[in-house]
Amino acid sequence: MAEPIKRKDFLWLGWGAVAAFCGAATAATARFMVPNVLYEPSQKFNAGPAKEFPIGVSLLWFKKQRVWIVRTEKGIYSLWARCTHLGCTPNWFLDQNRFKCPCHGSNYTPDGDVVAGPAPKPLYRCKVEVAASGDLVIDKAALENRPGVREKAPYFVEV
Amino acid sequence: MTKRQLFYVFNFLILALFIAAVVVDNNREWKGYQAEFNRLEVIRLKEAMNKAPDEAEKSALAVAVKLKKREPVAIKQILANDLGRADRCITCHPGFDPLANPTLTTPYEKAPYKTPEVAEHKSHNLTKLACTSCHMGQGLATTVEDAHGEVPHWEEPMLKGVYIQASCVRCHGDFKTLKGAETAKRGKELVDRLGCVGCHSFNGVGGEISVDLGDIADKPVSRIDWSHTGECKGAECGPLPRHQWNVKNWIEAHFTKDTLLLVPGDPEGHQCAPGAHCEPVPPSGMPPFSAELSKEDAAAITTYLMGQTSNKVPSNYYVYSAKEPEPKFANAVEHGKFVFSKYGCAGCHGEGGKEGRRNYNAKANDQTKMEEGREPTLVKVVGNFTRDELRDKIKKGVPASAVAKFKEDGPTPPLYMPKWEEKIKGAELEDLMTYLFSIAEKQEAW
Amino acid sequence: MADNNAPAAPNPAPQPAAAAPKLDMDALLKEATNNQVWKSMFRNWPWQDNARHRARHIVDNLWLHLHPTKVRPRALETTFTWGLGGLSFLLYLLLTVTGVLLMFYYRPTVELAYQDMKDLEFAVSFGIFLRNAHRWGAHGMVTIVILHMIRVFLTGSYKKPREFNWGVGVILLTLTLFLSFTGYLLPWDQLAIWAVTVGTNMAAATPLLGNEGPFANLLGMTISNDVRFVLLGGTTVGANTLLRFYVMHCVLVPLVTGALIMLHFWRVRKDTFSAAPREPNEEKLDVWPHLVVREYIAAAICIAFIFFVSVYFNAPLEEVANPNVTPNPSKAPWYFLGLQELLVYFDPWIAGVLLPGLIIKGLCAIPYLDTNPKGVGEYNWKDRPFANAVFMFGIAMWFILIAIGVYCRGPNYFWYWPWESWLIHKPAPPATWSFPIWAGLVSLAAYGGLGMALPRVLKGDIDWKKANWGFAVFALALGAFMGFKGIETWRIIVVDILLWLTFVFGFLYPQRHLKELDFTRYSVTQSLNLMMMGVLLKMGVRLGLDVKYILELPQFNLNI
Repeated sequence: MAEPIKRKDFLWLGWGAVAAFCGAATAATARFMVPNVLYEPSQKFNAGPAKEFPIGVSLLWFKKQRVWIVRTEKGIYSLWARCTHLGCTPNWFLDQNRFKCPCHGSNYTPDGDVVAGPAPKPLYRCKVEVAASGDLVIDKAALENRPGVREKAPYFVEV
Repeated sequence: MTKRQLFYVFNFLILALFIAAVVVDNNREWKGYQAEFNRLEVIRLKEAMNKAPDEAEKSALAVAVKLKKREPVAIKQILANDLGRADRCITCHPGFDPLANPTLTTPYEKAPYKTPEVAEHKSHNLTKLACTSCHMGQGLATTVEDAHGEVPHWEEPMLKGVYIQASCVRCHGDFKTLKGAETAKRGKELVDRLGCVGCHSFNGVGGEISVDLGDIADKPVSRIDWSHTGECKGAECGPLPRHQWNVKNWIEAHFTKDTLLLVPGDPEGHQCAPGAHCEPVPPSGMPPFSAELSKEDAAAITTYLMGQTSNKVPSNYYVYSAKEPEPKFANAVEHGKFVFSKYGCAGCHGEGGKEGRRNYNAKANDQTKMEEGREPTLVKVVGNFTRDELRDKIKKGVPASAVAKFKEDGPTPPLYMPKWEEKIKGAELEDLMTYLFSIAEKQEAW
Repeated sequence: MADNNAPAAPNPAPQPAAAAPKLDMDALLKEATNNQVWKSMFRNWPWQDNARHRARHIVDNLWLHLHPTKVRPRALETTFTWGLGGLSFLLYLLLTVTGVLLMFYYRPTVELAYQDMKDLEFAVSFGIFLRNAHRWGAHGMVTIVILHMIRVFLTGSYKKPREFNWGVGVILLTLTLFLSFTGYLLPWDQLAIWAVTVGTNMAAATPLLGNEGPFANLLGMTISNDVRFVLLGGTTVGANTLLRFYVMHCVLVPLVTGALIMLHFWRVRKDTFSAAPREPNEEKLDVWPHLVVREYIAAAICIAFIFFVSVYFNAPLEEVANPNVTPNPSKAPWYFLGLQELLVYFDPWIAGVLLPGLIIKGLCAIPYLDTNPKGVGEYNWKDRPFANAVFMFGIAMWFILIAIGVYCRGPNYFWYWPWESWLIHKPAPPATWSFPIWAGLVSLAAYGGLGMALPRVLKGDIDWKKANWGFAVFALALGAFMGFKGIETWRIIVVDILLWLTFVFGFLYPQRHLKELDFTRYSVTQSLNLMMMGVLLKMGVRLGLDVKYILELPQFNLNI
């Protein structure tokens, strides 16, 4: 050995190893706390080929998943069918271009905005994306109803 | 106060409060009830002992008296693990303890010891079903008020009187032929006769104008607006007292109150923010059945609907009904009458189409107010149609936006003619029309 | 002190002369104590009432030797400490005892937790008493820890050399809140899961680490890998959350808190009590008995109070938790309702993460910002006008916000007065509007720039009377203008009062009192102060003028 290792350097190295271990242990603990499998019912579902939804409000998944799928000229968004007043399920009325809640009469436009009744907030939109297969995937766990935000990805997808 | 005085005062206060805690804990309501029952039992057994004809029986009863006297006062429960119930009802109602008192009867007249002979108690295995599977209430609780469940934050209060038959509906697919379920059966018949399915569906089968009733008994109390469910002064109804907020009272209010008062809506359109564009909302679209239904009718329908739940019992507990025979009809008119009832046409047009029911702000004859709006009275209007026109009308329906309004800026009438073309087809449609023409009043020549 | 040794050595009662078999308690006591076993346990025996024994009583006892043997007379005054630090620790112990007992009857699973709560109420002997004591004790601990912090501030006890221990105290306060919050979920009723849902939703707004926070996409945060997901062990409050909160509540947080309490006590001992001498060369007093007696009595009063409440008032328990039914309104636990109220006015990441973070950091920074050496160990308003006024203003704001959240928020989080029924339907609040970006930037820059510069630039003494009169004229003119524009009177009053408070606390106070401060300390102090006043101003423009955001930059999630 040409240059003998100095005590000072050796200590730095040693403490460095301890510090690295502590850091790694902290990171590992953090990783440990992130579960890899869940026993929650999935909030995501595959709604089928995105291109096949007609323009307008689709009731295809209304009964099963409690969502409406709305297609406009530009793309698709999905509304969660839960009245923001007391949580009842509104119905779609094509002739009036309205969602109406049977419980206390709140009315919503196809955008989800309140036009009548006691509801305080617009309807929520679910996260939507188009998978590589062309299928529309809807995630009811991510919801948004703020105008300006809800019109953009991931709550709106161009189709 | 000196420190020494404070020292004494608070040490004794802590002791006193702890004793208070012990006393409160020891003086549980159920203890008194059970001790009293044991006392009554000792008296009864002693009397029997004194009257006993022979020595053998006398000594047997003497032992029974001794055992009863020694019996500790304790919480007793029936565990029904399959149904997720742990019911402590027998703590205060020991007569119903299937293990301690297999006869399930006692001679006592006074509550809570009264245990009359009930055929259903004998025919149901209480050790497997426990109490609240049928009676509801809060089986885990051990105070009178909490156990019977008419308290805030308990959503299944005890079903009393005829309402218990709701539980028959929950497990017995054949409840219509079941002895003891007559009220529930009557409720089901009324639901069919009044045409509820014209607007409501049951588990997805039926009309789409209003809410699905297939799980109406599970409706959470917090999803109900209780503002107008209570006593009314003129046209203004207040809320029910808090402890009566339960879905049974909510359902029943629809048959004992004018629905206009129960859910008044916002016919003037002033509920939204000042300055915002706001549309009027009609009151509840449900026609007022309260006038034509007796108290017993209302209770019967409520009973049947309280049996509509999605909390299904395990299938080995469920009693399936035998398949009902296909109804046979003598002629087309009879069949048409059946179709009329099957799809709930009476819900809006009245029984036998004789009187159109209320449709808020719809245009009607001789009308002065929005609430006098009506659905068409079929016997009066059907005669104006040709068969093809009528077929078209039933198939296509009349969307709510096309229903003529009495007040133009008033709310859209809540009821409308749905599109039936997907549901009523072929022979059903033809025979329905035959039936309708048969009831139409003969038109005078113009 | 007439009652010096009262509890330690009660005088033996005079024996009745004629009693037949005389029970000599003194002789019995002597018998019981005059042996090797006793003496091995209690070295300081037999007890003699002299200074040496009183000191050894403290030093020889594991628990009591947390105390010094002598303290200044002021430290003994009830109105100096109010016993708050000791009571915080007492409640920690009470909660440990009741909590451990409750654990014997509680199973942290979704299926059983609620049933176990019902069992505790209806079937377990003393179950409801223990649960009540645990619940009310927890609320009591949160309250007393906050009051303790206020006391320590007002007596200047955080100043050199106690700066570090103040920081430990701030962390103990947050741990206390977290302990209470994790315990809130365990009953698994509607109150529990929705309070925890509201509380943990704020974590989702953490910048970078929360999926709803700004810059979340930089790290690829989604609902199933962000900080909220780790906290909940899932995307919603569910079985994993219950177990996690149970472990944190019963093991993790109490252990950490206990360790920090030890550190806190040790530092109190090393840094000595702060109580200032009342007169020069005063003599210190023995801790045994003076301080110990007072602590004992304070503890007894506190326990008696908790017992009283626990015997007569039951802890709330609502319907069993149902993730599909959201109560309206859903409220966080009371001590977080101030933050929830701020959610009405600010973006979640500001109200739920930035502001609480700043509050904690600001509190920790106080000892390092406050260079005023006066007012240590005494309540001194005269020599510390700025510190006391601003701190108490912040505390008052915090509790007013909590009171609004508890008493004035009804369905849809609309404003309901406490005497109004929640069944009355309230119309939605009027539509809100935001400043255009340039106006937002200008007003923020003006507020920040003038707020930072003016108190420093204006060197002379300002006559507060004149200044306030001047402000009154301005407020009247502004009010008249607003009235002319058709704005309701109550809104004008709200805006005027809030502007005036900002004028006084954001300008007049710092202008007069922060002159001597060096540049760094001044910048930090005044910017924290301005942020606090800014929160108030923002609330004012929302309530008074329906302003949604002053600066709206949704693309950066930056809305102020």
